[in-house]
Amino acid sequence: MKRRDVIQSALAGITALAAMALPFGFWRVLVPARDRPERNYLRPPGALKDDAAFVAACIGCGLCGEVCPPTCVRFHDRDGGGAALTPYIDPEDKACTLCGKCMDVCPTEALTRVALDKIDMGLAQIDRTACYPWVERGICGACVTVCPLGERAISFEFANLYRPVVEKGCVGCGLCVEVCPHPSKPIWIVDRSHGAVASHRI
Amino acid sequence: MAILTKKPFFLWRHLNKLRWLTLVMVFAMLVLLPYLHVYQNFVAAHAYDLLAPSEQRLYDIMEAISQPFTNDPAEDLDAVKGTTWSGTFWGLQLSDPLAVLGQTAAGRTVYWPFWLTALIPFAATAIFGRFFCGWICPATLIYELNSNLAAWLRWAGVRTGTRRFDKRIKYGVLALGLVLSAASGSILVGAVYPPAIIGREIYYAVALGGFGVGMIFFLGTMLFDLLVARRGFCRYLCPGGALYSLIGRYRMVRIRRIVETCNDCAKCNAVCEFDLNPQRDNFGQECNNCSACIAVCPTDAMTFVLRPTDGPDQGPGHLGKHYRPDAAIVPDRARQAAS
Repeated sequence: MKRRDVIQSALAGITALAAMALPFGFWRVLVPARDRPERNYLRPPGALKDDAAFVAACIGCGLCGEVCPPTCVRFHDRDGGGAALTPYIDPEDKACTLCGKCMDVCPTEALTRVALDKIDMGLAQIDRTACYPWVERGICGACVTVCPLGERAISFEFANLYRPVVEKGCVGCGLCVEVCPHPSKPIWIVDRSHGAVASHRI
Repeated sequence: MAILTKKPFFLWRHLNKLRWLTLVMVFAMLVLLPYLHVYQNFVAAHAYDLLAPSEQRLYDIMEAISQPFTNDPAEDLDAVKGTTWSGTFWGLQLSDPLAVLGQTAAGRTVYWPFWLTALIPFAATAIFGRFFCGWICPATLIYELNSNLAAWLRWAGVRTGTRRFDKRIKYGVLALGLVLSAASGSILVGAVYPPAIIGREIYYAVALGGFGVGMIFFLGTMLFDLLVARRGFCRYLCPGGALYSLIGRYRMVRIRRIVETCNDCAKCNAVCEFDLNPQRDNFGQECNNCSACIAVCPTDAMTFVLRPTDGPDQGPGHLGKHYRPDAAIVPDRARQAAS
């Protein structure tokens, strides 16, 4: 058997092996991932509010992720479906610190520079049936301590020093979600259009 | 003619080495930037003592690399960011013209600050032709190494892909990609464009913990190149290559054969990655000025000229066996003389 035959058959074997992997690969690519969380991810600060317009404007260059100091900006892959390659923030994993670098670096209008208190990623909402101070299970205040906007966005209830209350100034960066020690995260970010739920000075 | 009979400028033979150096440097930057980004995060978090030993090693290496250039790594290293798809260099934002077209198609609006970022690449392409494909594209480095692998395999007696298709297919891919981008409202051309894929996949792999699905597509194109058609994706399918070919159709900087010193050895045709015909002066709009044919020419019969079109076929090289001195230079006139 000649050398060329050995190499030829080796190449044919490798090709056959690779070809056998192709259907699995295509299946993995085409079938959307199932592990999407029930809560929606956030878009980075300054994102166009209409998500279809955001997806159309984003070119998937990844610059917002590359400049993000806490690396909170991740990118949709198969899980994004039509919005693949677009950035998102999962505040339970890593939250935005409102540094604004992504707004400055974005080459398209997908992320446009807006003032810090005009950012609209959502609005924090607190589940008062689970949050530790609200159910008298101890003192906490982590969300109030960590908030980069201070009392404009979240403060303690007047009568009880440790019960957090979301204020009108919240921009939805999600740092409170990241820092919340409760395993079920009784604070999360909802869209501002759900404001009737969220503005709860009950 | 007098200017063409001169010997070409001696450095042009060595441009091909410079081109490989450029390709390697661009690729190395695409690998280095995500690592620098990770390092920046560690610096910004003041987290050295909390890092794992391997991360501390990364920190030390990146600190050693970047220290001569930065005072405050967390801020200063933001100066160079991005990929060839879109990047920022000391405040200057540059984008791929295909990104601009795709985004305009998908959004159906013209956002002029983004158009401006593609101005410099557009102007350079209008002058130098499809130079991005030969000199910068990070996928080109891998594809040319792939072509070299195929040459090695052929030398060992293995059959690799040598099919040829119609080069106009890629213009159809470009048009279809733009139409589908407009229809779907997301930039689909960016998902099948190898340099964009390479840039973001390296970033995903280094900074976000793993390759995405784009890598499967890229490996598919490599297999296509190896087993079906040499450099097939760039020649026949790449939407960006199609766009650059269109922009660079009347490029000013061209390669031209010096017919007096050409000996018709056809090495230029063999080395040409894009299946052009330098031996008969037919470069067309798809030449990427890679200068491989200049480097390979044994008689120094290839040179750069400044003119917007290729010029006519100059017939057989004067040192070749098909050249008859009694015939005129232009084949038409040679036929007239014979009749």
